[in-house]
Amino acid sequence: MNFELTEEQNLIRDMVREFAETEVAPTARIRDEEERFDRALMFDRLAELGLTGIVFPEEYGGAGADYISYAIAVEELSRVCASTGVTLSAHLSLCANPIYLFGNEEQKQQFLAPLARGEKMGAFGLTEPSAGTDAGGTRTTAVKDGDSYILNGTKIFITNAGEAETYVVFARTDKAAQKHHGISAFIVEKNTPGFTFGKKEQKMGIRSSPTMELVFDNCRIPASQLLGEEGMGFKVAMKTLDGGRIGIASQALGIAQGAMEAAVNYAKERKQFDTPIARFQGIQFQLADMATQIEAARLLVYSAAYKASHGISYSQASAMAKLMASETAMRVTTQAVQVLGGYGYTREFPVERMMRDAKITEIYEGTSEVQRLVIGTALTK
Amino acid sequence: MKILVCMKQVPDMESKFKLSPGALWYDTADLAWRMNEYDEYAVEQAVRLKEQVGSGDITVLSIGPDRIKETMKKALAMGCDRGVQVADDAAMAKDPLAIAGIIAEYARSRDFSCIFTGMQSQDRGSGQVGPLLAEMLGLPCVTTIVDFAYNAGEYLVKRELEGGVRAIVKVKGPAVFTCQLGLNTPRYPTLPNIMKAKKKELLTVPVAELQKLAGQQETTRIFFPEKKGGGLVLEGEIGALADQLIAILKDKTSVLA
Repeated sequence: MNFELTEEQNLIRDMVREFAETEVAPTARIRDEEERFDRALMFDRLAELGLTGIVFPEEYGGAGADYISYAIAVEELSRVCASTGVTLSAHLSLCANPIYLFGNEEQKQQFLAPLARGEKMGAFGLTEPSAGTDAGGTRTTAVKDGDSYILNGTKIFITNAGEAETYVVFARTDKAAQKHHGISAFIVEKNTPGFTFGKKEQKMGIRSSPTMELVFDNCRIPASQLLGEEGMGFKVAMKTLDGGRIGIASQALGIAQGAMEAAVNYAKERKQFDTPIARFQGIQFQLADMATQIEAARLLVYSAAYKASHGISYSQASAMAKLMASETAMRVTTQAVQVLGGYGYTREFPVERMMRDAKITEIYEGTSEVQRLVIGTALTK
Repeated sequence: MKILVCMKQVPDMESKFKLSPGALWYDTADLAWRMNEYDEYAVEQAVRLKEQVGSGDITVLSIGPDRIKETMKKALAMGCDRGVQVADDAAMAKDPLAIAGIIAEYARSRDFSCIFTGMQSQDRGSGQVGPLLAEMLGLPCVTTIVDFAYNAGEYLVKRELEGGVRAIVKVKGPAVFTCQLGLNTPRYPTLPNIMKAKKKELLTVPVAELQKLAGQQETTRIFFPEKKGGGLVLEGEIGALADQLIAILKDKTSVLA
C-alpha cells in the first residue's frame, strides 16, 4: 500500500495549481458577481494545458493520464474557482466519458477526439422537471423515423449548456417499457435544428458556470448518434454518474481546501485581545477539524479514482467519496466563514462564495441522500 | 544545436525554514521543493532557442540527491530532451567553485553551443556558478540577461544593469548566459508533455566521476539575524514631541547631522 503521489501526479498538481492561482483566481470573484462564464479562460486554456482529455488515450486526443491526475486537476481548479472545476468535470466525466465508454469507433473519432482535445466542449442532459434522482421518470421522447430519431422534450439544470457543442442526452425510446428500461442515450450537437436553449438559471453558487434548459422540438438527429444500444440509456447514465461523482467529489475537496487555507491565513493575521486568533485553542480546534475532515475526504476521493484507473468496481467508492467530500465542503466552508467572522460574511473575502459553491456539491450528480442509497443498497443486497 | 541548461532544485520560498543549532544549512525535512525560479527562465529560453532553430538537443543538468529528479522531470516536460542528474547528497555543502567544476567537467567534451543558467539560486544565491563555469570552459559569459535573440551563430542579448540601465551585448557562440527574472514567460508543462517526460532519458552520474576540483570556501555558520527592537512611540504635547523627534534624528541618524 502506497499513499504517495507519483512524480507525474505531483507535477500535474504543481502545474494546475500555478495556472489556477495565476490565471483563474484573479477573476473568480468578479465572474461570480457578474454570473459570467469566460470560455477563453475556463475552457480554452484548460485545453491548451491538455486538461480537457486527461484520462483518455492519446489515440482519441487525450493525455493518457489516470483518474487520480484528473481528480487532482479538478481539485486544484476548484480550490480557487469551483465554477471552473465543474466546467471541466461536466465536460470530461459527463460528456466525453460516456462516449469513450459506450461509443463505437466512429463515434469516438467523430465526437470524443474533439472533446478530448478541447476543440469542443461537452455537456450532459438527464434531469427533467419530472426526472432527476428518478431517471426512470424521463419524459423526453426519441421516435425512430427511418435513419433518424426525432427528439421532443425539455431538460433542466444542465451544466455547460449553451456553451457546449456536444451533448449526451437521454430520451425515452420505448413508451411501453417499464420505467428505466425504455430509455436511450444520444449524442446531440449544438445548432441541430429543433434544439434550442431555454432560460438560464439564477443560482446561489457556481454562478460563473452556465446552467440552462435544453429544449428539443422535433429535433431530428441521425440514428448513428444513438450512444450504445436502444434501451441501454439507464445503464449509460448510471455508469456515467459513477465517474462523475469522482469529479464532483474532487470539486468539493478543492472548495474545502481553499476555504481552510483562507481560514488559516486569516487566523494568523487577525488579532483580537492583542493576540492572533490562531493562538486561541477555540480557533485551532476548528482548523484542526477542518484539516482532518479534508484529509479523510481526500483519501476517499483518491481511493475511488485509483479504483477507476485500475478497472476495479468503484460505484460504491465514488458514492462514498462524493458523500464525504461534499458534506465536508459544506461543513468546512461554513466554519471558515465563522472563523473570518464579519469579514467572512462579506464578498471581499472568498469564503462566502465557497460556502455558496459548496452547497451544490451535496445536490448535483446524485444528492447526498442518493449516495447513501447507493452505499446502503450495496451493503444490504 | 546542442544546448545545456543548468538547473537547481530549491525549497519553496514560502516554506518555514528551520535551522538546528550549529547547522551549516537549513533543515531539509518537511520542505516542498521546486525549480529555482531563475532556472525556469533558463529552461524556457533554451526551449525557445531550439524551437527557433528548428532542431537541437537540450540537456538539463542538476546536482543533488534523488529528490531533484522530480524537478528535472518538470524541465523535461517543458521541453528539454534529456536529464543528467549528478548524484550528490552533499551538493548543498559545496561552494560555487566546486559546483561549477562539476558542470564544467561534464560539459567540456560535449561541445555545447549555448549554456544557460539562472542568474543565481534562490537559496544560496552566490550568483557565481555561471561566470565560473564560463571561465573554466574558456567561454564568454553574459550575466543577468533580460532579452535574448539568436541569429546565425551570433547572440544579441539585453543585460540589466544597476539603476534601471540596460545594455545590449553581442556575442558569438558558444557562450554562457545567466538568466534574470522576466527574461521570458516560462511555459506550463502541459499534461501531455508531463506524460511524455516519463519516457525521456534521465541519466544519473555519480558526483565522484565529475568532481576534480575541491571547493575553496567554507560556510562556518548560518543563522537568522536577530530581530531588531520594535518601534519607538513618543507621547506628549505636540511641541515637546517635535523637540524629542529632532533630538532622536540628530542623535541616532544622519538625517539632521
